[in-house]
Amino acid sequence: MTTTAATRRLNLLDWFKTITFYEILVGMKATLSHLIHYKPITLQYPHEKRTLPDNYRGMLALLRYDDGTEKCVGCDLCEAACPSRVIRVVSAEVPGEPTKRYSKEYYMDMTRCLFCGMCVDACPVDALGMTQEFEWAVYDKRQLHLNKEQLLAIGDRSYPVREKRLELQHPNVAFFNVTFKQMPHKPH
Amino acid sequence: MTELGLRLAVSLAQIAAVMGIVMLTVMILTLAERKVLAWMQDRMGPMEVGFYGILQPIADGLKLFFKEDIVPAGANKFLFTLAPILAMVPALIGFAVIPFGPDQTLDVFGITVKPFVISDINIGILYILAFTSIGAYGIILGGWASNSKYSLLGGLRSAAQIISYELNVGLAIVGVLILAGSLSLVKITEAQAGGFWHWYVFAFPAPQIFAFVVYVISAVAETNRVPFDLPEAESELVAGFFTEYSGMRFAFFFIAEYANMVLVSCVAAALFLGGWNAPYPGTLLGHFGLESLAWAEGVAWFTIKVYGFLFLFFWLRATLPRLRYDQLMKFGWKVMLPIALGNIVVTAIAVFIYQQMK
Repeated sequence: MTTTAATRRLNLLDWFKTITFYEILVGMKATLSHLIHYKPITLQYPHEKRTLPDNYRGMLALLRYDDGTEKCVGCDLCEAACPSRVIRVVSAEVPGEPTKRYSKEYYMDMTRCLFCGMCVDACPVDALGMTQEFEWAVYDKRQLHLNKEQLLAIGDRSYPVREKRLELQHPNVAFFNVTFKQMPHKPH
Repeated sequence: MTELGLRLAVSLAQIAAVMGIVMLTVMILTLAERKVLAWMQDRMGPMEVGFYGILQPIADGLKLFFKEDIVPAGANKFLFTLAPILAMVPALIGFAVIPFGPDQTLDVFGITVKPFVISDINIGILYILAFTSIGAYGIILGGWASNSKYSLLGGLRSAAQIISYELNVGLAIVGVLILAGSLSLVKITEAQAGGFWHWYVFAFPAPQIFAFVVYVISAVAETNRVPFDLPEAESELVAGFFTEYSGMRFAFFFIAEYANMVLVSCVAAALFLGGWNAPYPGTLLGHFGLESLAWAEGVAWFTIKVYGFLFLFFWLRATLPRLRYDQLMKFGWKVMLPIALGNIVVTAIAVFIYQQMK
């Protein structure tokens, strides 16, 4: 291939760029411009916290109705839905009310939880909620093995506004797990 | 008090002062590097300790001081202990001949003292080169004595790199030595007085601009800084030769690295950028009739030059990726060395002709 005058001039230019460190200088100009137009994107985390989106999937919690009774009906669907086997439910009849069930014991091993939210989706009575809490670092991982009282406490502090009982929400709403004598009167 | 005792006391006071200043500079550098790097990368750097994170070096020092001192199993204990000292002492000892300010004398109880240089020996630059070479032993022995493959690889790499690039440093400054006709840093700096066009980077008849570039690159390589930080390449060698070190021994290597940076910056300022000389003739304070305070301006200019040079180190670190090992060697031997040698030839001829014409 014959070298034309144009390519030779180009090679000369390349050579000049090499000996003057042109490419390096371009890079150094970029870093210097960041130094001069200093606009940090850092959030000083423990002092400033970012606002989390409403659908943030944080710590799990058990919820209550507005009269203070637990929503959970002990159906075990969350346990079945959980891909990491976080949840363990011990379901039982409410003493003296044979048609009504509740979770006698409810455990979550949060060391395994991957915060997928499937248990929340699976719950037929919306008894589970995901809070905005995420600062759950502890020194002993046994502290992350939460029982029902702890989960309810998380729900109490994260969900101050509670729902009415299902059967009292609307005359046409379907409900279950209510003993016959407590059935609300539906106006026609 | 005898005269000898007095001299000893004055010298020790000077040494203590210079050591204090160097250590303070190293402390500032550890913070400044993190801050400058963070600013260039749109981060904030350390912000927690003290206002805007300015007490971070003290926190780091305290942490390192109280850390457990681990000697790995199978390590050669004697050399493992010796290596950090061998790395740090040469880095600090070079400051003995650096002139920080004008070559004035001061009479203290009848003996003459040069306040801005601990010892103005007539082979100053040779002394610095000789001692910085010993620093390589610390690195190699540290790498070998750790009984770890990463340390050994880091040590080997750094040995090859330091030896290759020390050669270039040595050859790059020969041009300056030809121009100045002296090895004393005080004399070399004094020969550059009278404005920035007398600095050896730009000086007639043989501007040492190429030698300066070679010196800067080789100095970066010799202090194992990015983009030549192969000995401690985090992504390949964990931490290089000080992988196994912890606590104060690690701190010694760390201080040695930063002290070396300050040292090469001081040498660059003294040899190429006129040392304490201002970029204009004389001193501003001298022109205003404050001749007795002119030394302050000299020291200020020296400080500005050194810190400018140190800023360049950070700037390069924020910009450049690491070289490959063969590129490093090729660059050192096939590019830097011929340029440095050619510079010596050109400078020698130019100075010879200049002296014949005079």
